[in-house]
Amino acid sequence: MVSKKMLGLLLVLPALVMIGVFFILPLIASVIGAFETPEGAGLSNFVKARELYSEDILFSVLIVTLASLLIGFFAIAIGGYLTLGENPRAVAILRWLYRWPLFIPFIVVGQTLRTFLARNGLMNNMLVGSGLITPDQALSFLDWRGIVIAFVWKQTPFVALLVAGAMASIDRGTIEAARNLGASRPRILIEIVVPQVLVTLTVGLILSFVTMMSVLSVPLMINAQSPTMITADIAFRINAYGDYGVANALGFISLIITSTVAWLYLKLSVKERS
Amino acid sequence: MVQAGTGSGFLALKGLAARYGATPVLSGIDLAIGKSEFVALLGASGCGKTTLLRAIAGFVTPSAGTITVGGRDVTHLPPDKRGMALVFQSYALWPHMTVAQTIGYGLKLKRRPQPEIARRVAEMERLLGLEGLSGRKPAQLSGGQRQRVALGRALAIDPEILLLDEPLSNLDQRIRLSVRHEIRELQQRLGITAVHVTHDREEAMVMADRIVILDQGRIAQAGTPEEVYNHPASAFVAAFMGAENTLLLAGRRNARHFMLHESARNAACVVHAQHSTLPDGPVEARFRAGAGELLPKAAPGAPPSGTLELWGEVLSTSYPGGLWRHSIKVGDTTVLCDAPRAFAQGEPVKLRIPPAALFLFAARPAGAPSLPGARPSAARKDSTPEPSSQPEA
Repeated sequence: MVSKKMLGLLLVLPALVMIGVFFILPLIASVIGAFETPEGAGLSNFVKARELYSEDILFSVLIVTLASLLIGFFAIAIGGYLTLGENPRAVAILRWLYRWPLFIPFIVVGQTLRTFLARNGLMNNMLVGSGLITPDQALSFLDWRGIVIAFVWKQTPFVALLVAGAMASIDRGTIEAARNLGASRPRILIEIVVPQVLVTLTVGLILSFVTMMSVLSVPLMINAQSPTMITADIAFRINAYGDYGVANALGFISLIITSTVAWLYLKLSVKERS
Repeated sequence: MVQAGTGSGFLALKGLAARYGATPVLSGIDLAIGKSEFVALLGASGCGKTTLLRAIAGFVTPSAGTITVGGRDVTHLPPDKRGMALVFQSYALWPHMTVAQTIGYGLKLKRRPQPEIARRVAEMERLLGLEGLSGRKPAQLSGGQRQRVALGRALAIDPEILLLDEPLSNLDQRIRLSVRHEIRELQQRLGITAVHVTHDREEAMVMADRIVILDQGRIAQAGTPEEVYNHPASAFVAAFMGAENTLLLAGRRNARHFMLHESARNAACVVHAQHSTLPDGPVEARFRAGAGELLPKAAPGAPPSGTLELWGEVLSTSYPGGLWRHSIKVGDTTVLCDAPRAFAQGEPVKLRIPPAALFLFAARPAGAPSLPGARPSAARKDSTPEPSSQPEA
């Protein structure tokens, strides 16, 4: 009996060691590092981070929240059309197209959108060319808007994939019952379908939120000037100053933000189950 | 048969056909359902009964034919414009909505004022015995309660026609028996026209005014429960109505009668006019286990005129309750027969089947896979599936 237990432990040991050494330990080291100062343990890294980057922290949270909301909206629209669409050809085309951005790395998204959204980029050239705007009306989107567009473009397929899967597995009868009573398709989507996939949608959005909080390439490519995102600041502290203390403090702050979101989710799902 | 209000039919189907891709599912369905009539669509799984119901409801686009309600053509109207409400087999309740929200949803869609909705919901809850459950969600309801909520949702919008897709199949046996009567009673009280899909013969018999038996996408027979039970139009219907014992006999027809020849396993017998349309030659005889009388082989006396007598030997007995069930070897086939007392295994017996319980059909050609060819007098116009005039979007 005892040897069987030992064998079981032995079997999971390599995985445990991997997680401990490569995930938990660096995380703890980074958290401890945030509180290490030349004068011993203290909060001076956080004070400095607040003085220098409080605007960027707020900027990051707002951008990622806005992007998450837009992603949720588009994911529901795509999933909804895949589930309720009545033109089989349009549904097939959408099903084939919408996943493409999943296979494109963030850095490429950033690079592509940089050339597309710039003041003399492809988008403005097209708008000017079609006579919709004059050249002096052309605006650069390479600021917070560019970051939001890049995030939404890249993350929508991921959430749409999860949401469409969940929508496909709900009882079709619940949709037909609403149709039978005269509900329009938008109404069916909002009142019947979305409530049934709410948990999946929330999970998708939280995973996206955490992913977006950690992306460095997009803010660097599209908007490296102030205000920018926390990730760009962390990279800057380390590369330009070798200042691991403040970098760790910023890392700890973004960890707090993502943990808050995860905690909200847990609270929500517990409420759902009770 | 004369049905109240049948005539041309309140709900009338004419030449209805449907297909999934290239596979025909329904063909040549002609059916007239009277106002306030309760019709059961009965058939084995895959016979097209649910497709027929869904075509009536507007969820399946027919490839040919028309559906009219009170003379109004609804064939191409969306489901909510037909004055019908469908109760789904799975109930299809919305997991996030309470009982009151679910029942009131149809009225909310019709933009009825809130007090009116509340009044109607309360009325439905009272009617269906759901009082005190307004605030519950489906997960907190029993199977029977869910079924009643689904019924309430359909009835709340006051439909002219109620469509029921095997609404009892998810209930356990005991509840099912009482819900049958509840639904029937409710239907009669509201005077609503109902079409009920089921594969359960007894359920169809006790609930419906009229039973429509479907076989391979066609109507095999339509009639009152008493008619289809006692006068099955085909071997398929007879089998479906419980006449599972089948024997191949031979006979000859004259002007008014059909004479069954004597053989090693049966006495000669003259059967009456109703079978006089049978062709000469082999016939398929069908009867129910409870229809015959079992006697010792040596019992004296000849059978009454018209009663078929079979000779055999008891293979085994069992006691399912009430009567003893005997498995009897007659020639090279085995039939089942009930008797009030148990006969010994191996005992030679004779089995008498009175004319009313004996169903004769022209025998199918050997190896014929399906039944259409075996339809004797009730053979209907054989309609091949029409080309799809309206492919489904």
